[in-house]
Amino acid sequence: MSDELIQIETPFAFNEENQRKFDELIGRYPVKEAAMLPTLHLAQKQVGYITPAVMKYVAEQLEVSVMKVKDVVTFYPMFFEEPVGEYVIRVCHTLPCALRDCKVVLEHLKEKLGTDIASETNLAKGTTADGKFTLMKVECLASCDVAPVIMVNDDLHKNLTPEKVDEILDNL
Amino acid sequence: MVQERRILYEHLDVPDINTFDVFRQYDGYTRFEKAIAEYQPEDIAKMVMDSGLKGRGGAGFSTGLKWSFVPKDIKPCYLCCNADESEPGTFSNRYVLEKNPHLLIEGILICCYAMGIETTYIYIRGEFTLGKKMLDAAIKEAYEKGYLGKDVRGTGLNIDIYSHPGAGAYICGEETGLIESLEGKRGQPRNKPPFPAVEGVFGKPTVVQNVETLCNLPFIVGNGVEWYTQMGPTYADTRANPPTPDPNTGTKLYCISGDVNEPGVYELDLGLTCTELIEVAGGLRGEEVKAVIPGGSSAPILTHYELDTRLDFTSLTLAKSMLGSGGIIVMNETRNIVDCLLNIMKFYAHESCGQCTPCRWGTPWVRDIVQRIADGNGRKSTMTRPKFGVAENGRWGDTGETEDIYEDLDLLESVANNIANVDTMTWNTICVFGIAVSWPAVSYMRKFRPEFEATIREGQLVTLPVAEATVPPEENYAYQQRFVPKEFADL
Repeated sequence: MSDELIQIETPFAFNEENQRKFDELIGRYPVKEAAMLPTLHLAQKQVGYITPAVMKYVAEQLEVSVMKVKDVVTFYPMFFEEPVGEYVIRVCHTLPCALRDCKVVLEHLKEKLGTDIASETNLAKGTTADGKFTLMKVECLASCDVAPVIMVNDDLHKNLTPEKVDEILDNL
Repeated sequence: MVQERRILYEHLDVPDINTFDVFRQYDGYTRFEKAIAEYQPEDIAKMVMDSGLKGRGGAGFSTGLKWSFVPKDIKPCYLCCNADESEPGTFSNRYVLEKNPHLLIEGILICCYAMGIETTYIYIRGEFTLGKKMLDAAIKEAYEKGYLGKDVRGTGLNIDIYSHPGAGAYICGEETGLIESLEGKRGQPRNKPPFPAVEGVFGKPTVVQNVETLCNLPFIVGNGVEWYTQMGPTYADTRANPPTPDPNTGTKLYCISGDVNEPGVYELDLGLTCTELIEVAGGLRGEEVKAVIPGGSSAPILTHYELDTRLDFTSLTLAKSMLGSGGIIVMNETRNIVDCLLNIMKFYAHESCGQCTPCRWGTPWVRDIVQRIADGNGRKSTMTRPKFGVAENGRWGDTGETEDIYEDLDLLESVANNIANVDTMTWNTICVFGIAVSWPAVSYMRKFRPEFEATIREGQLVTLPVAEATVPPEENYAYQQRFVPKEFADL
């Protein structure tokens, strides 16, 4: 059954740099399986999201079943199973940010990007038509003193207002 | 006014303190050198025990005691540093990782020396990209300078530190969830016992410590136990005979956010009051304090009647709340508690790991009930029932009056208490996530019951003035020891 369910699209393999990083990673743990999260992070950095081919490759590298990799990928919100935009915008909406009007920031982003908010099962909903942005709500980003905050890919932006959001988007 | 006492954060704003050379100028790694030159590993463990250091991650468990549970004869033993800071309202570890990662490395070195540990994993939150970058650079530098790796500084110690990124799951901050996640699995907590100190990561004894706890170690070793225990109050635990000392020593990185003028991290001695902390943080933004969450979103809320509560582990436990991770969220008179609870319950419904049925089904159920109330569709019965409260004899019982039945509030309490019972402090789940859900749910509802009732009656969110939104402690169900016999309650 597995061959039908796991459709292999483009085959996946680490590029040279990531292979080097992976080789270093694997030496850190007494069991290979423990390198699962850092390996998946590497793979996601390389192709943008976790395709079935990635899962199969990671499973082979770590000597575990594909199901185990899938198990992990579905558990953690930072791994995407669908394509996402070039820029992933994470808007914190937990209490300290909510007390500082993160709703205004979120509404402004929705309007400006002309997209809805992605849900974990439907990332396409929050992705702009040109594939440039994906807008999603996340739980506390641990920066409550500078709320409201958003993360654009790896960068944290603090003390936001709609004007600051415009500035950030213009500079991308 | 209370003064800040910066110890962990003292050199945080020094430019380039994240580099080895600058850190070295500010006594960097001298405490570790002192430890290996002057003390045996057992001496360090004893110092930590005597210092009364309590884990800063949330549970407030004595660090020295935790170390004493680790069997000496099973090797290897691992150290997991918990840098998965995800509790809403907490952000002190982020600054340590981003600005002063060498301090953490020094703390880890001291812990490794004391416990004979060779491998440390720093489980760092996936979202902390900058923190991980800084930490990795610092680890690399420490290897180059010979403070990590084989034969550290010619002492024969082998110590390795690896950073391990998480991937956005709150539950991985729970120590056994963290261990599962570190092993490359779903971060679902394990049953305890066996505790991680006996059987943790890869089946070996494991010490799991928060970043802030480890950062305290260089200062305990460097300045001595006597200096450390001067900071913060030490209470007497009268449940034991003779009373045992209950130390709340050291400073705490209080993270204050919400309705204050200058939110941020303030390093202060343990044991100051809520009012004092708000004053330190530039005062309240608004007219009146309506509520304070004292220890991250899992902690039961404090009302304006309880602002004199001292913010330390013991005092907050006695006030039936907790210091937790020290994330203090202040709310002013404009805030609606139903709305705040809804926000927090959405968080917990999203973050439940789905392992235990009461939590997997209970958290979305609690969220839906609060959502229904906030939407104005909260259910209220047309019937009434006898009112329980402080009866004529001064004990809890039938007051002879009647009260309205708010079905949704009863249901909310029932569902929450069946995930984890806040009165008996027993939980029907594997980990304490259960109590982290029902604590806020039940405490907000009981303490701010008038606001919940008004919202249900009016069919829309009603924000009552501070004086009317909550009930005085002496009349409030939330403060009563329901199931604890009187003899025990007085202890």
